[in-house]
Amino acid sequence: MTTPSESTQTLDQDNTDRRTIDNKLSEMTLHREDAVQDMGYGDAIRILPNVNVIKIGGQSVMDRGRSSLFPLVEEIAECAKTFDMLLCSGGGTRARHVYSVALDLELPTGVLAAVGVATSVQNARILQMLLAKHGGILMNPEDFEKLTLYFRSRCIPIMIGMPPYEFWEKPAESGRIPSNRTDSGTYLTGEFLGARSVIYVKDEQGLYTDDPKKNPDAKFIPKITASELLDKNLNDLVVEPVVLQNMKNAAHVREIQVINGLIPGNLTKALQGEHVGTIIYED
Amino acid sequence: MSDLVKSGDGERTHIESKLMRESLLDQKVVDATKTDDEISILPDVNVIALGGQSIIDRGKKVLFPVLDALVEARKNHKLIVGVGGGARTRHTFHVCLDLGIPTGGMAMVAGGVDEQNSKMIGCLLAKHKGVVLNKDHFLDLPLWLEYGMIPIMTGMPPYHYWEPPTGSKRLPSHGEDTGLFMVSEVLGVRSIIYLKDEDGLYSEDPKKNPNAEFIKTTSARELLDRNLPDMLIEPSVLKTMIDARHTRRLQIINGLKPELLTAALEGEQVGTIIYSDDADMP
Repeated sequence: MTTPSESTQTLDQDNTDRRTIDNKLSEMTLHREDAVQDMGYGDAIRILPNVNVIKIGGQSVMDRGRSSLFPLVEEIAECAKTFDMLLCSGGGTRARHVYSVALDLELPTGVLAAVGVATSVQNARILQMLLAKHGGILMNPEDFEKLTLYFRSRCIPIMIGMPPYEFWEKPAESGRIPSNRTDSGTYLTGEFLGARSVIYVKDEQGLYTDDPKKNPDAKFIPKITASELLDKNLNDLVVEPVVLQNMKNAAHVREIQVINGLIPGNLTKALQGEHVGTIIYED
Repeated sequence: MSDLVKSGDGERTHIESKLMRESLLDQKVVDATKTDDEISILPDVNVIALGGQSIIDRGKKVLFPVLDALVEARKNHKLIVGVGGGARTRHTFHVCLDLGIPTGGMAMVAGGVDEQNSKMIGCLLAKHKGVVLNKDHFLDLPLWLEYGMIPIMTGMPPYHYWEPPTGSKRLPSHGEDTGLFMVSEVLGVRSIIYLKDEDGLYSEDPKKNPNAEFIKTTSARELLDRNLPDMLIEPSVLKTMIDARHTRRLQIINGLKPELLTAALEGEQVGTIIYSDDADMP
């Protein structure tokens, strides 16, 4: 690092110059796309490259109750003996209800995002109680840096899927539903950590050309790139579209898999790297 | 709106509501949530963004008159003061880039600089009812405003480790300008004014090219299309502004001329005005 400029060393109260710290970025505009290219900085590191980030769907899994969730909980416990797994909870039916109420009250997107968090917290707590005997531990986003401790102790950390944007969630292009919900938060968790895999456990085999619950003719798509999927402009997607946008800019997580967690064994296979659902990737 | 609907064992339990059984990923469902009557949460408040590098890093001689102007303005207007980072943010990014810290990690640690600045501004404004407002206490704002206080917030949005990746750019795209824009937008406030160290926006950095063209009024889209090499406001503010429901206009004024603040709060144009689209033109 170079010597600090004079203005930081002298205490001259008449000086109205910017007090700077000399470095490669001290005087340049940081807003350009190519701002730091060719400046000789190395690549981004992977923080926890062995971790698998698994989202447990809210409406698709949690809200189905005991007969669907209990077998999955057992499978998670078994997988956690081999794999480092961070679980992220979805929202689901109560999130939809609170959005619906808030929309009716003419509230903005940021408020919807702020109230939506609590449903994800409820589901994280419920999952923790179900997994406690297997080492399930609730992790607040504020304790994110303690992840390593939990993995070293062979715990299964459970965190909310919602990102902490809350009132700072930007207005969407259309409508008022927050663009960044639990799929997005889960993906960003994986991308930040440089995770081994990001897997979405839902109640469909993966991606279809339309909502298979409403249209029985919807066709299954086993593998597709994020760009292709965005270009298709499908009316209904299996993950939040912002995940696909973020994948295009990702440093690490360029592939996600959406699987049907109601079929026993699927999660285990997906963790072993098998293709059991829809894989979305970006070159 | 409280009827439970369950079709059978192992099926999803729904609550009767407009979004029941609907996929929130269905574009038609999303489109239907549009409204023209979204409420303004705090319609009589003004957000004032203090640049870190452009104002605070210049020291006492520049900052004290700005604070005086804020105290004076508070007599007639409710204010929220937002604080940016500056030289130490840049230094943080430089160190982090060198160490390979990913985008979310940079966003997480950079917030510390905003916190330092907000604490200093908080102490300087304390005797004039300045109070540092932690983001967790966002909904306490009405309390402070009602008591004539000047809440001071850090600028960076709380995206933290969840800051979206930015490809080869690597630096976070959401800084203090965007965070404060979102405070303005979600609260539906009366106005947002950015205090920087130039008379407004120029086609190039006027510190490097004295012949740079001054841009007095422009739409956000126009400005994005021009793809200027140097801008004193984050491009992500402009992108957000296009979809904004409330904050469809912002003004950038010269904080080195603090007397302009009152005029700007009265609605006068004393710097650069950026608006969302033609309907919002001043």
